[in-house]
Amino acid sequence: MADQTELPETVTLTIDGQQVTVPKGTSILHAAERIGTEVPHYCFHDGLSAPAMCRLCLVEVEKAPKLLPSCVTQVAEGQVVHTQSDKSLTMRQGVLEFYLQNHPLDCPICDQSGECKLQDYAHEEGRPHGRSREPKRVFGRDDFGGDVLFYGDRCVMCTRCVRFMNEVEQDPRLTVVERGDRSIIDTFFEEGLEGTHFHGNIVDICPVGALLSKDFLFKQRAWDLDHTDSVCPNCSQGCNVELHTRDNLVQRIRPRTNLDVNGHWMCDQGRLDYEWINRGDRLEVPLVRGEKGMRAAGWKEALASLVEALGAGPVSAVVSPYLANEDLGAVRALVDQLGGGVVVYRSQRSSEEVVLKGFPKLARRRDLAPNVNGAELLGMSRVGDDDGAGGLEALASHGGVVLVVGDDLDDQPPTFGEGAALYVFLGTHSSAATSHAHFLLPLTTFAEQEGTFTNYEDRVQRFWSGLAAPGAARPAWLVLWALLAERTGQAQPTRPEEAFEAMPAFGGLTYEALGTHGGLVDPSARQEPAGAAGD
Amino acid sequence: MSSKGPADIPFRNPGWAGNTGEFDLTEGQVRGEDFVGTRPLAGAHPAGAASYPYMLVKKDQEAPLFEGPYRERFEKILTRYPDTRAALLPVLNLTQEVRGHVSPEAMDRVGELLELAPAYVRGVATFYTMYNKRPVGRFLIQVCTNISCSLCGADKVMEAFLRYSNTEPGETSEDGEFTVMEAECLAGCGFPTCVQINSRYYENVKPGDVPNLCERLLEKGK
Amino acid sequence: MAYPYVSDREVRVISTQFGDPEARTLAGAKERGRYQGLKTALGMSPEAVVDIVKASGLRGRGGAGFPTGLKWSFMPKDYDKPHYLCCNADESEPGTFKDREILRWDPHQLIEGCLIGAYAIRARHAYIYCRGEFFEATQVLARAVEDAYADGLIGDDVMGSGQKIDITVHVGAGAYICGEETGLMNSLEGRRGQPRVKPPFPAAVGAFGMPTTVNNVETLCSVPHIVVNGPEWYRQWGSEKSPGTKLFCVSGHVRRPGNYELPLGFPLMDLIEDLCGGITDGNALKAVIPGGSSVPILTAEECRSCQLDYEGVASCGSMLGCASVIVMDETTDIVKQVRRMAAFYAHESCGQCTPCREGTTWVTRILRRIEGGRGTEDDLDTLMELTTQMVGTTICVLSDSVAGPVQSSISKFRDEYLALIRRGERVGAA
Repeated sequence: MADQTELPETVTLTIDGQQVTVPKGTSILHAAERIGTEVPHYCFHDGLSAPAMCRLCLVEVEKAPKLLPSCVTQVAEGQVVHTQSDKSLTMRQGVLEFYLQNHPLDCPICDQSGECKLQDYAHEEGRPHGRSREPKRVFGRDDFGGDVLFYGDRCVMCTRCVRFMNEVEQDPRLTVVERGDRSIIDTFFEEGLEGTHFHGNIVDICPVGALLSKDFLFKQRAWDLDHTDSVCPNCSQGCNVELHTRDNLVQRIRPRTNLDVNGHWMCDQGRLDYEWINRGDRLEVPLVRGEKGMRAAGWKEALASLVEALGAGPVSAVVSPYLANEDLGAVRALVDQLGGGVVVYRSQRSSEEVVLKGFPKLARRRDLAPNVNGAELLGMSRVGDDDGAGGLEALASHGGVVLVVGDDLDDQPPTFGEGAALYVFLGTHSSAATSHAHFLLPLTTFAEQEGTFTNYEDRVQRFWSGLAAPGAARPAWLVLWALLAERTGQAQPTRPEEAFEAMPAFGGLTYEALGTHGGLVDPSARQEPAGAAGD
Repeated sequence: MSSKGPADIPFRNPGWAGNTGEFDLTEGQVRGEDFVGTRPLAGAHPAGAASYPYMLVKKDQEAPLFEGPYRERFEKILTRYPDTRAALLPVLNLTQEVRGHVSPEAMDRVGELLELAPAYVRGVATFYTMYNKRPVGRFLIQVCTNISCSLCGADKVMEAFLRYSNTEPGETSEDGEFTVMEAECLAGCGFPTCVQINSRYYENVKPGDVPNLCERLLEKGK
Repeated sequence: MAYPYVSDREVRVISTQFGDPEARTLAGAKERGRYQGLKTALGMSPEAVVDIVKASGLRGRGGAGFPTGLKWSFMPKDYDKPHYLCCNADESEPGTFKDREILRWDPHQLIEGCLIGAYAIRARHAYIYCRGEFFEATQVLARAVEDAYADGLIGDDVMGSGQKIDITVHVGAGAYICGEETGLMNSLEGRRGQPRVKPPFPAAVGAFGMPTTVNNVETLCSVPHIVVNGPEWYRQWGSEKSPGTKLFCVSGHVRRPGNYELPLGFPLMDLIEDLCGGITDGNALKAVIPGGSSVPILTAEECRSCQLDYEGVASCGSMLGCASVIVMDETTDIVKQVRRMAAFYAHESCGQCTPCREGTTWVTRILRRIEGGRGTEDDLDTLMELTTQMVGTTICVLSDSVAGPVQSSISKFRDEYLALIRRGERVGAA
C-alpha cells in the first residue's frame, strides 16, 4: 500500500466547467472561492459553526437528487458542480424572494446600505419585481445594550450573532425566541449585552442592517468611506484593522482578518476608542523660541536652529508607546549619536486581560498602547504608574537636553523642563507642560503615517496612512533622521521602510516580508541596540 | 362487499363521561384514571418522573420552586439524562406545574439550576407552544380547529366557548376562570371536536355541550 | 373485552386490546401474550433480531415508510459508544390519532417493542418522547413502565438475561416539528426542537452526539408480533413491498370515524363505504386526503381505484404517509380547509429555513385573502410557484408538505378557488 502520509490528500472536482484541486474535506463553497466564484450565503462564516440554515448557498451537483448547501457539503472526487445553472439560479432566486417578503426595504434610512448582502444578492440574483401583496410582519427597533441596536424587521435570521456570542465570546446573551415567522433574535429581557466585551463584532458579521452600531448610526454612508489597512492602537494586542475615513476623520474602525493575531474579531474597547485620533487643536507648524517668545518657522529653519543648539549636555528622553517602531528607532539613533542617555516611556496598564474565550489568541491586553514591545526592544524602559502618569521627576528637572517625543505630558506641571539647557518637544498637542520648550515640533499620529508596531508577542505589523496630516506635521522618524542627517552630514533614511530596516533590533525583517500579515521578531537574528537601558 | 359484523350499530368511540355508548366502560377506565391512580408528587420510579401533567387548575404564581417533593422529583429527572441540558424541558414542565406559567424569574432560576444561560432558557421556552408566557385562567381551554375537527364544526365549538366565557381568542375572561385558544391537532381526530382543558382531553364536544361542560368545570374543577 | 369488530375484514394485530382496560395492567398484559417476543429476542443475537425485522419488510409507520430493518442495520455493531433508541410518540400530524390509542390502551406492547428494538440496535437506553398534550396517555404509559421496572422487565437485568436496558418517558411541550426525527433529538437534548442537517445521519451522530435510531410507536409495536410469529406470518398480509397491517385513522365526514387495523393494500372506497358506514347524511364524496395533511388531496374519482399501500397511493398521485384518511364530502369548503392546513404549517414551522418560515405564512395569507373574496387569478399562479420554491430547498420536509394540499387543491378544485375569486362565492359550508 502506498504511503499516504507524505502528501495531504487532495480532491479534484469541476465547478462551472473549471477543474479545481483542493484538500480533502474542503467545502464546495470554499472550493468555489478558489476559482473566484462567490456563492451567496448568510449563515456561514469562517469563524463560526455552520448550521446550513439560510438555504442561500444551494448549488446543483450532478447526480444528487436535491440541491445541496455548498457551505457544508464536502467536495468529492470527480464531482461536477454548477453554481450558475438555470436550476441553481432559479432555486436561489426563489429563496431570495422569501427573504424579501417581510423585509422593510428601508435602504434609504438603513446604515448597511452599500455594504449589505441582501442588496448585493438581490441585485445579482433576485427577481426584478416583488409580487407580495400581503402586509409585512413588524418587530420594531430594540436596544440590545452596549453599542448595539437591533432592527428586527431587517433581520434575515442567519443567527450569526447568536452563534458568535455562544461560541466565540462564550457569553450566551442572544437567542432566537418564538418559532416560525414569529421568531426573532432577542436577549434575556433587560439583561441585554451589558458587561460583554466583544459584542461589536456582531455588527460586523450581520449581513444586513439588523444589527447596527449606535456609535455609527446615521453617521456616514458606506460608499463614501475610504478604507486603510492599519493596526488598532488601543492596546498591545495589535488587532489588524481597517480605518474607515472621510473628511479626513476616522469614522469607524473595523477588524481585518488575521488568523495569527485576532481572527476575524476585535474588542469593543479598541473599536470604539478612535475619537482621540480625530482630535483637533493640533500643533501644525514648527515653533522656535526666540527673544520675543515662540515663533513659527519652516522645517528647514527649525532643524537648522535645533542642530546648532544640540550638544548642550547629557540627554534625557521620554517617548510614547503610541509611536511607530520607525519613530522610536530614530529616537534611539539620535540619543546614541548624542552620546547616549536614558530613554523612558509611560503607558496606561489595565489590571487584567480580557480574553476572547473562543479565540484565545485575542485578548484586550493589559498594556493599553500599541507599541510597548517596540519600545522595550529598543532598550527603552517603563516609568510611571498604571494610569500612565508620573515617573518623570528626574526628567522634569534635568539640566541638560530634555527630549520629549510623542508623550503629551498632560499630567506634568507647567514647570516641566524649566531648568533644561535645551528642551525639545515633538508631539501632536501642546500642554501646560510644554510652556518652557525651546522647540515645539508638530508630529503625525499613527493614522497619518506609514509604519509598524510591535505587539505583545513581538509581532511586527505594518500600518498605512489613512489621513492627511494637518499643516506641516511630519512623522517623528522623518524629522529625527533629517536632524541626524544635518548633524552628521551623512545620508539617512527618507522612506519608512528604510527607517525600519535601519534598526538591527528587528532582526532582519523587511517591509516586503511583513506584507499585510505581519511577522514575528526572530530572537536569534536580533541585535541589541547600542544604547541599552541604563541608570 | 358487505361486512358480516354488526353494521347497523352506530360505532361510537368512548369519549368523556356521558358519551360512552354501548360499551360498558366508565370514564375512569377510558381515561385510564383507575389504572394510574394518584401519583406521588415526589415521583415514583425515576423513569416516569418527567411525565406529570403540568397544566393544573391550581396555579400559584408565588409558590416556591424545587422544594420538598418537587425537589425530589427534580433530582430523579436529572438522573435520566447524560447531561443537565436535556432535563430542561421536564424541569420547565415542573415549573409550570407548580406556578401555572413560565415567568422570566422562573427561567432564570431554571438556568441557574441546570447551569444554562438565562437567554438560552428563554429561547427554548418560547419555542414550545405549551409553555404559558403569561398567567392564564384557571381553565385553559384549547379547541382543536385543525382539519378533521374543522370539517366537523370545530369553529362553532370555539365560538360557543368564546360566547360562554365572554372573551377573545387567546385572552382570559374577566373573572379569571377561562382562557380560550385555538389549538392544533390534538390527535383526537376520530372524536371531533376535540378540546383540551388543562391536562384533560374532552372528545366529541358539540356546541350544545359547551355550557354544560363549562358549568361542570366551575363546579367540579374538571 | 375490547371494541367489537365492525367487519371481519379487520385484522387486529396491534389493536387487539383497544377498549380493554385489563390490558394495561402487567398481569393482564402478560396474559394477553405481552413480553413473549422479548423473551424470544433475548435468546438470539441482536443481528438475528434485525434480520427478522428486515425479512418481514416492516416499513416505518410514522409517515416516511422507510424499511425498519434496514434503518436498524445502520447502527454500529458494537457497544463502544452509547446507543439510543428514541420512540417517536409525538403524534401531531393532523388526522392521526392511532398512537394515543396505543399508549392509553396497550402500553406494554410499546414497552416490549422498545425493549426489543433497543436490544437489536445495542442501545442501553430508550427514550419514549411523548407529545406534551398527551397527559393522560403519558401517565398510563409511565405507570406501565414503573410496573415493568418493578417486575424486572426493564432495568439492569432485563428478564434475567443480563442485558441492561432503561426506558425513560420524556414529555414534550407542544411542537409538531419535534415529530421530525432530528427535531425530536434536539428537543430531547433540551434545545429548540429544530431539525438538523443530514449528513451526519442519526445512526452516526444522533441524540447527545451518539448513534441513535428513531422509530414510530406503531412500528415498534409491530416488532414483538413479528419476532414471535416470524416474518413470513407478517407477510401474509399486504404486498411484496408493503407487507403487514396498518392502523388507518379515519376522520372527517364519515359515520364511524376511528382507528381500523387493516392489511396494507385495502381498497380505500371499501374502508370509507363499508367499514366506516359511508359518508354522513348520505352526502356525496368530494375529496379524500389519504395520509395526513402533508400529502396531495385525491378527488372522489381518483379514490375509486386507490389501494391503501405505499405504492398504491403513490400511483394515484398522493402518498400513504401515516395513513390518516380524512374524508371530505360535498359540503366541504376546500379553500377554507386548505387555508387551515397552511395555517397549521405556518404555526408549526420552526423558523430556521427562510423558504419555510416566510413561505408558509405568505401562502396562508394569500389563501386567507382568497377566502375573503379579495383574491385574483394571479394569486393561484403565485401559490403554485411559491410552493414549488418551497420544495427541496429546506432542511426538513415541513416546507415540502405545504405543497401537497395547496398544489393538488388548485389543480383539482380550481373551480372553488375561481368561484371565490370571480364572484366571492363560497362552495360548501364546512
